[in-house]
This record gives sequence, structure tokens and C-alpha cells, in this order.
Amino acid sequence: MSLLTSVPPAVASALPPLPRNLTFDPDDWAIIAGYWYPVAMSSEVTEGPLGATLLDVPLVVYRFEGQVVVADNLCTHRGMMLSLGEDQKDGKGIKCPYHGLRFAAEGRCISIPAHPDGKIPERMHLRSYGAVEKYGLVWTCLASRPGDEPVIPPVPHWDDEGFQQINCPWIDIEAFAGRQVEGFLDVAHFAFVHDKSFADSSNPIVPDYSPQVTEDGFETEYWSSMGNVPIGVEADIPDGFQWLRHFRLHVPFTASLVVHFPDGGRLSMMNAASPMSAKRTRLFDARCRNFGTDGPLQDVYDFNRQVFEEDRAMVEAQKPENLPLDPKLEVHIPADKSSIAYRRALRGIGLSAFFSA
Amino acid sequence: MSDHETIEVVVHGMTRSSDRSLMIELRPSAQNAVLPAFEAGAHIDVHLGSLVRQYSLLGSDDETDRYWIGVLREEDGRGGSAAVHDALRVGDRVRISAPRNTFPLDASAGHSVLLAGGIGLTPLVAMAERLHREGASFELHAYSPSEETLPLRDHLASRPWASRVRLHYSGTGDSLRAGAPEPITSPQPGAVLYVCGPPGFIDAAVAYAASAGWPEEAVRTERFVLAEPVELSGAAFSVIAASTGQVMGVGEDETIAEVLERNGFQVFLSCEQGICGSCITDVLDGIPDHRDEVQSPAEHASNTLINICCSRSRTPTLTLDI
Repeated sequence: MSLLTSVPPAVASALPPLPRNLTFDPDDWAIIAGYWYPVAMSSEVTEGPLGATLLDVPLVVYRFEGQVVVADNLCTHRGMMLSLGEDQKDGKGIKCPYHGLRFAAEGRCISIPAHPDGKIPERMHLRSYGAVEKYGLVWTCLASRPGDEPVIPPVPHWDDEGFQQINCPWIDIEAFAGRQVEGFLDVAHFAFVHDKSFADSSNPIVPDYSPQVTEDGFETEYWSSMGNVPIGVEADIPDGFQWLRHFRLHVPFTASLVVHFPDGGRLSMMNAASPMSAKRTRLFDARCRNFGTDGPLQDVYDFNRQVFEEDRAMVEAQKPENLPLDPKLEVHIPADKSSIAYRRALRGIGLSAFFSA
Repeated sequence: MSDHETIEVVVHGMTRSSDRSLMIELRPSAQNAVLPAFEAGAHIDVHLGSLVRQYSLLGSDDETDRYWIGVLREEDGRGGSAAVHDALRVGDRVRISAPRNTFPLDASAGHSVLLAGGIGLTPLVAMAERLHREGASFELHAYSPSEETLPLRDHLASRPWASRVRLHYSGTGDSLRAGAPEPITSPQPGAVLYVCGPPGFIDAAVAYAASAGWPEEAVRTERFVLAEPVELSGAAFSVIAASTGQVMGVGEDETIAEVLERNGFQVFLSCEQGICGSCITDVLDGIPDHRDEVQSPAEHASNTLINICCSRSRTPTLTLDI
């Protein structure tokens, strides 16, 4: 029987070997490793080494001549964590803290201090990946090579005139990315989880909505009377205003939400859940808005932190820790149409029914 | 009172208002009790057994001793309107929510244009009532396939503001798709437009208004509806288990899943309303009456799969791969 959406899995032609201490089912890992994820904010990447983890693979992120490099966080010589090295601030690449080897563009080794005139073995270069800066984030894909064309889902309105671009600081969540993304798509929890940040606890009812399958997931428009203004903030919202939330899901773990405010106001948010492992997620944010653009950014960061901490408390407590893709494994209500569509889209790219350990 | 709480009311009267619509008067079940005040455009939840339906309040918003709702019988609906028409009777007690208003009226506008598609008429009737009482300028345009299908036909004709009503029958070519009425295409300064109806009707009206130059804030719509629970009942038929040849009757108010479970077959249910796909079963012979939202139109048309929690059969027998 075929109930799968026809989402083509990304080409996973050149995957690295399976990581040590793999927390995913190997077949699931091979599928999701074919997609692009953020691993850092552009603003935190310097010429010094920054450690990151994607799908159980330890990575090092740095700049060389302005270009971002993403490579294995493992010195090919004696297996040292390169992210332990200090920023040399000399424009000559990152430096292994153990024997001082230097690595530059595309992770290539350019110096072995013990043998300044010796040959640099071909195998001394780091395994490196495609690395692209977009929406204020550094994106990579474990199946890519430097220079590969990225596939990065859009942040609606990001480049539109009059929109202010913001990256709220990332948040680490001790939970699986799929659970977090599903929480972002969930419209029935506002009245219960977010009543201290923006929601009306007396308005739990979820009006009907209809997710539509797209090439790489689904989208849905959700109309309701649930407001989207921080509690305690004065806002001129007409009586009975109906809020439109336009959700878009891009398999496997990126979603966006455009909230339509009165008078043409738009708040567009990308929720990019980067799976460090099957049990740990670094949630990156890229958002833009065309109102209140002169307000203090710290207020935006603080409000976002409050909302996502409320979600984090829920997501980290869910059992099982993975996302059961077989519909028989949990019970569904009409408010869950997005969740059902999400799980179906994940099944559609071939992930196992009990994704993922 | 929180919105989670309900109020018990008694069905005090029911009036047939057109071939397919009923006007229902609800009064508090306790003597001398009053109902919460409401604003024109508000709706209530009505609990009908396990079903919950939203109905707009029709009457005058200065009446707190009774509510009026209008219920159109929708043959292809999912059971709420049928439950009201077939089962609800004068004297029955039902539970309702307090009124909520997501479609408020600005009675101070210079002129109000009320545009109704089908049963979307109901909140606009309460608005007309209020505008009439205020002596405000307004007109109500009601669209319906024909005079027979027009909800609340007799009620409209009986109102003191009946002269403000314009009826449009798409069966005779006067549909919104064919063109918008003049008050929309030539907006008066200071006027407000209220639109209620099916999503496509609202989209069309909003598009006409935008191209005619209506300011965005002067166009008010009620866009959302609650999910209608799936209608589970229907004509009786039989299912045949391909593995054993066993023939099992499925009664009018039974589901295939219930019958299979009773006969010892293992059934995997989750949502029990055709949205999740847990119970999908292969069909070997017969044509299902699909009632789920899981399968795509192409899958429905192939008639090879059935959601046994909710779907039924168009053929006297249905052979399943069980």
C-alpha cells in the first residue's frame, strides 16, 4: 500500500563513515544526513575553531579568508579535537593544539611544524563539507563537498523591503529534533503551554485547518482568534481580529511560520532544528518582521527564549524520545492534522516507523 | 465563567424556516435564569451527544432570556445538522458554551454591507437586527443556490428590515462568481463590509472588495470553522473476510472496525475519525464509501484501500484483505 508522499530523498552520494556512538538507526541516519542543517550562527564563527555536532558527527567550524569551513573535528594525524585549539588570529588557518598542524580552506592541511619542508600527505587533509551562510546561519550537509549547491528552505519575507532580519540565539534541547519540530507545528498547545507568554488560556478550541502536501513537506494556513502579542505588551489589536498563521514544513526538521498581524504586519520565523544526535537538538532561529523594527533586539531574544523554554519543558518530557511515525503508536485528534502530515512526510522520505532510537 | 464551562438550556421552540432550515429557541433550564449577554456576530458551541457544533446567535443582542440559532440541514455534512433535525425536540435539554465573538460589528459605521453565502447568513442576521435597532444604514445580500435552499427564508421575510434584504440565486445565474453586487464594486466612503460563508465565497468577496478599492480594515470576515466530526452511520452492508470467507453484517450505526473486533479480528485503531490512517485495510472487492481525510483523491478513486474506523460501503458487500 502506498500512502507515502513523494518527497525525494536528498542525494546521499558521499556520506562519511557512520559516526562512533551512533544514536540513530543507521538507515535513518543515511537518509537524514542527505539534508542541509545549520550548525552555527554566522556571527559566532571566527578564524578560530568552533566545535559543533551534527547527527553524531563532531564538526569544527571556522573562517579562512572570510569563507566558512566545516570539517571533521578530528585531526587526521593523532585524532585530536581541533576545536580545542586557540584562535591564532594570524590568518593562517586553525591550529591543532597537540602538534600544531594548520588547516585552511576546505580543511586542507597547509603546515606540519615538525617537518616544515616535508611532504604533506594527501590523507592529512580534513574531511570537509559544503558550507554556506544564509539567513544569518552557517549551513552544512554531511553528504556534500565544499562548493556543492545547497538546498536550504526559505525564510519568507527575509529579503523583502522593510523587513528587519533577526537571529535569536540558539537553544539546546535535550530531545529529538522531530519532537521539537512537531511542537512548533502544534496549534492545540498554545492555551496550555504559552499562557504566560502570549496565549489566552480560555481559548483552547482549535478551528479546522487543512494541510496541503508540498514538494518537500506540507503547508497549512491556520485561522484562529489566538493572539500573538507578548502578555503585558500594549498592542492595538481590533476586537475579534482573526489571526492567520501560515506554517510550512520542509523535511526533515525545518519549519517556518508567518504570523499575519493587523494592518499588514508580518512576523516570519524559521525554526531550524539541527539534530546533534537523536537525543539532543540545537534549535536555530532566523526571523524577520516589518513592524516594531526600531524596538530593542534584546526584547525579541528574551520573548523568544521564554516561549521556547516553555516548549522545551514539554518536548524534553515526551516519551518515547523519538517520533513514532507509525500512526498506530499514538492517538490522534483533529487538531493534529499538521502532526499527522509531518509524520507522513517523514515516512515519505523512507524513515523507519519507529524513527528514531 | 470560563469558556470551558457549559450552560444547560432547554429547547423551547423549533420553527421550520425554509425547506431545510430550522429556527431553534433555547432558554435557560433554571427558572428566572438569564443567559450571558452576547454581541451581534457571536456564536455558541452546542453539545449534541458526542458532537459539538458552533452556531451563530440570530436574535437581538438585548435579549438575555433566550437565544435563537438557525440550523441548515446539510445532506453532505458530517452529522451535526442531521442530529439537530432528526433528533432534537422541544423540551430536550442540551448544553451550550457561553457566546464567543470573533466577528464583531461596528454599529457606528456610515453604512454596512452584509454579504452572506449559504448558512453564513446566520451571524449577519443578528447584525442586521442590531443595525436596524440602531437606525443605522445597511443592506444584506444573501446568496443561495435557489429559493428552496435559502436558509431562514421565512425568518428573513418576517423581519421589519426585510426591505433591506437582496436575495441572489446562483441557480439562475446570480452567483458571486458571476459578479459582485453594486455596493461592493462601488464602495461608499466609511462603509464596512461583513462577509460570512464558505471559504471560497469569502475569498471571492475579499478579492472583489480589494480590486474595488475597499480599505483592508473595512472588510470583515469570519474565516474559521470547527472541524466537523466524521459521520459514521449509513446504510447497512456486509463485509467479507478474504482469509476465511466469513460474512459479517455492518448495521446502520456500526463501523466496520467494531464489527471486525466483535468477530475476533485484530483491528488497529487510533483516531477513530479517519484522520490518522492507522486502520487502513486493503480492499479486494466492492467499492468503499470513503469518509476519511487520509487518502488522497487518487487513492480514494482507486478504491483499493479503506479506513475501517469510519468509511462504509457503496456496494452491498465489501471484501477486505483480512
